[in-house]
Amino acid sequence: MQGSTRRMGVMTDVHRRFLQLLMTHGVLEEWDVKRLQRHCYKVHDRNATVDKLEDFINNINSVLESLYIEIKRGVTEDDGRPIYALVNLATTSISKMATDFAENELDLFRKALELIIDSETGFASSTNILNLVDQLKGKKMRKKEAEQVLQKFVQNKWLIEKEGEFTLHGRAILEMEQYIRETYPDAVKICNICHSLLIQGQSCETCGIRMHLPCVAKYFQSNAEPRCPHCNDYWPHEIPEVFDPEKQREAGISKSNKKSLRSRQH
Amino acid sequence: MLQTPESRGLPVPQAEGEKDGGHDGETRARTASQERPKEELGAGREEGAAEPALTRKGARALAAKALARRRACRRMNRTVAELVQFLLVKDKKKSPITRSEMVKYVIGDLKALFPDIIARAAEHLRYVFGFELKQFDRKHHTYILINKLKPLEEEEEEEDLGGDGPRLGLLMMILGLIYMRGNRAREAQVWEMLHRLGMQPSKYHFLFGYPKRLIMEDFVQQRYLSYRRVPHTSPPEYEFSWGPRSNLEISKMKVLGFVAKLHKKEPQHWPVQYREALADEADRARAKARAEASMRARASARAGIHLW
Repeated sequence: MQGSTRRMGVMTDVHRRFLQLLMTHGVLEEWDVKRLQRHCYKVHDRNATVDKLEDFINNINSVLESLYIEIKRGVTEDDGRPIYALVNLATTSISKMATDFAENELDLFRKALELIIDSETGFASSTNILNLVDQLKGKKMRKKEAEQVLQKFVQNKWLIEKEGEFTLHGRAILEMEQYIRETYPDAVKICNICHSLLIQGQSCETCGIRMHLPCVAKYFQSNAEPRCPHCNDYWPHEIPEVFDPEKQREAGISKSNKKSLRSRQH
Repeated sequence: MLQTPESRGLPVPQAEGEKDGGHDGETRARTASQERPKEELGAGREEGAAEPALTRKGARALAAKALARRRACRRMNRTVAELVQFLLVKDKKKSPITRSEMVKYVIGDLKALFPDIIARAAEHLRYVFGFELKQFDRKHHTYILINKLKPLEEEEEEEDLGGDGPRLGLLMMILGLIYMRGNRAREAQVWEMLHRLGMQPSKYHFLFGYPKRLIMEDFVQQRYLSYRRVPHTSPPEYEFSWGPRSNLEISKMKVLGFVAKLHKKEPQHWPVQYREALADEADRARAKARAEASMRARASARAGIHLW
């Protein structure tokens, strides 16, 4: 906060509209962000050359710094798709959700979050979450109501649902990583490769280290004999492909990976 | 609702170029000027007593003051940032924000500095986001955000939904297919239609990403589509129907109109669907009338209170 010598970026209507739209959506995939950027140029500065996305975003972030927010890039945990969201840099808990949800709803989210973090697979079953409904702070909530609230979380992209189980949406991980690491320092899992928060991933059966699926993909890319980076034991899981937007991929690959991972859990 | 005389509370915005340095300078200058009179009064005696050269005690006191000032400055910056976020989030829900809410949730015991804080927040909102913070009700200190970016042309507006334009078109096609098939369509039929449009489920599309993911995950999870297993089918077959959100946000008549345009015919060309759409319109009109009546009743009750 002391007078920074770094030159701060300049905001024009192109950047402002981009920010407004990114805020409206909460989280966007990279190809969508690029379309958005081109759209903003088209509307406000038709003849200008479109900045490279990374520079464009860095420019905006340098302006956002004094507001303790930034446009953060992450990847989805299941198949490494790049996503972008506007996140809070100060650890003010689950503040962005706080205005959309009531006290008991926020507490339900917190309970689900804890179950997800504690789980081996990164997924918490609907049943287990709903069983905690009696322990919620605030107004009493019935199970039926809680089911609806969980769906609201899914619609607002805080949770993802797969076959009756819930995990964190990429957006929630981007927004809350710091909060989660500070609030649950013992339960939290970390990826051995990128050292970020890990909710879903693969683990070494010998030494227990974990890696994100996209990190596994990158680390073992074109490696015929994948071995654990920590204990050198043979890596027993299916190696996913590195995300390539140009290549045709089976969109359901995340499901098959999850099944192979879960079948090994006790 | 937006026509209010220019509020006197907001200062003239600073020149663009000196924004960063300007702000910090402004804060430091302001807090310094707030403190200087007190310092001169309080410390005057001390300084008079000690020699002009600083004693160790004097140096420590000055260092402590500088630290306190930096802390106050940081706290001020943080509060301004929190207020900006608070205003943005509140505005997203389209509810006007009152001064007391701001004090309660963000400003807290910095209440005395409210005019300064809100002025700085307003400047950030203007420069960074293109919103103007307008005091919409002077008596009750209520504020709203007005979008200062230029309004869009109609075709630009579709794009502006940030990807929702083409996606909405795809959704309309699927909703149309479902509607024309009697409110239910087998999964195979949906993919067949998309195939005819040149889309493959798992092939990356420059407008939609992966269509399969868009439909099966996004549309279903967002409740635009419902996806159910058809009972007594083996191997299991699945079907799509309108999800609850589609029922809320789009009408059958609109979808029928969309389909009709595609086929270059009139909606009446499909009498069964047309009758169904008319019934749907009647239901919606009735529901709307009921809602409006209750809103009017509430408004007149409130007006009645104000007259007193």
